[in-house]
Formats: sequence, structure tokens, C-alpha cells
Amino acid sequence: MNDQTNGATISNQKAVFAGAALAGAFVAVMLGVYGKVHDPASETTIKLFFTSTLHFKAWATTLVFVLAIGQLIGALWMYGKLPVRPAPSWVGPAHRISGILALVVSLPVAYHCLWSLGFNPDPGGGRRFAHSLFGCVFYGAFATKILAVRSKRMPSWALPIMGGLVFALLVVVWFTSSFWFFRTIGWEV
Amino acid sequence: MLRRLSKVVEVLGALAVLIFLVMLFANGPTAPPPAPAAAIEAAGGIDGSAVYKAKCAGCHGGDGSGGIGPKLADRVVVRFPDPAAQVAVVTEGKRGMPAFGGRLTEEEIAAVVEYTRTLLGT
Repeated sequence: MNDQTNGATISNQKAVFAGAALAGAFVAVMLGVYGKVHDPASETTIKLFFTSTLHFKAWATTLVFVLAIGQLIGALWMYGKLPVRPAPSWVGPAHRISGILALVVSLPVAYHCLWSLGFNPDPGGGRRFAHSLFGCVFYGAFATKILAVRSKRMPSWALPIMGGLVFALLVVVWFTSSFWFFRTIGWEV
Repeated sequence: MLRRLSKVVEVLGALAVLIFLVMLFANGPTAPPPAPAAAIEAAGGIDGSAVYKAKCAGCHGGDGSGGIGPKLADRVVVRFPDPAAQVAVVTEGKRGMPAFGGRLTEEEIAAVVEYTRTLLGT
């Protein structure tokens, strides 16, 4: 009986994760479709105190990257994977706050990418296509991770897997945008 | 205290996502800036493609298909029916577009604008 109950619970957990993954895939596809179908405005948006919107985007994405490294360290600490004392109680909320902050900082960047530039298939190159593709997948994976955090019926492996995937995707997104910008234009503000 | 703050941040984050989605669909392109009096003069023998490769291709792509800067090929003439408006943007910059007035001569700007409007396509 217990085996049957456990089997049903595991099956239910997998179904919940599959639902969250489908929702994330929907987000990623919708962003890609918007970027492809929407006629790019080819305009700049905000730049704050930076030289241009592109400078702002490069540095904002770098800030998101730095916050994501903090996220990774916080997650490893909470999972007891760091050779230090157990994570204090403030690490959880701090992890959550910095994650949301990273998302908020990334939104004006994504807005300019989607609204002004659009999804770029770039058949001759690769960087722009990779950035377009992985940028959309990043937000899809992020949505799945948020759902994994929220649900109490997720399998235990879902959260670290999705967290790791989101971080890995962000690395690709950063390398295909900010890193390329700094190498091409320079470390201008 | 930190938990309460995280709740507030979550609400603000959700609000930011909502604003992001609304802006994607509600915000239309703005009109190009008014054209200055100056029009494009003859390029004076300057190779516009060389200027483009040196100063513009890094952002707009070698073939004008865009990159971190907007696409120019097949679009720039539609976007700037008056070439003088395009000269103004290249010279003075426009929000994200750096000003090239101090880095290129008037002749070089005229040449590169002519290049983007002809060889890169309309």
C-alpha cells in the first residue's frame, strides 16, 4: 500500500514538473514568436546615465550575471554544498530578493531586444541567433523555476536542476551579448 | 523583516513583469526626429563602405542586418525618407546611437549615409 502511495506521489510530482516545464516552454515560444512576428521598432529605449541604450544593456546584463553568481553561491550554501557552516536563515529570503532583482533588471534589456531588435535568425553568423534563442529559453526556464519554487508538489530534484539551467542559460546570454559588446566596443560606460 | 521585504519585492517584481508585457504590445515606434536643413552633399570620393565597416558594422552588422544596433538594410530609407534626418542621427546621436559628429567629418558622414541607403538596400 505504501509502495503504491509512494509511486503515485512520485508520478504526481513528475506530472506537476511536466506542467511547469510546459508553461516555461510556452513562455519561451511566445517570446520568440513575438520577436519574430513583431516588426522591430529599430529604436533605442532607456539609457539612464550610460552612453547609449546598448551600453546600458551590456552593463545591466552584467549586473544580472553578478546577481546570478550570488544566486548560485546562495543556492549551494542552502543545499549544504559549500564547505562552510550551514546557511543562516537570511540566505533564503536574500536569495529570493536578489533573484527577483535580477529578473527586474533584465526586463528593460529584454524589452529592447524584443521590441526594438526582434528575434534574429542570423543565418550567416551565429551569435545573434544564439542570443535570440537562448534569451527566450532563459525566460522560459526562469518561469519554470519560479513555478518549481512555488509548488510544494515538485520533485526534490526540480529546483536545483532548474536553477542550474537558468544560470547556464544566463551565462550563454551574457557571453553572446555583454561579453561580445565589451570585446567589440570596449569597457565603456 | 527580510521575509517581509522579500514579499514586497515579489509583488514589485510581478508588477514589473506586467509592465514589461503591456509595453511590448502597447508601445509603437515613434516618428523620426525633424530633419535639419542640411542635406547630403556629394560624398567627395570618400568610400562609404570603408567608413561603415570601421564605425558602424560593429553594432549594425557587416551587412546591415542589425546586431546590438538596429537593422539598416531594407529599412533605413523607410525609416528616414529624408536623408537629412539620417545625417542628423549619425551626427548628433539619438538616445542609444552615439554621436559621430566629433569622430567623422561631414563628408564621411554623408558617404556612409549614402552607402547605407544604396548599397545596403532600401
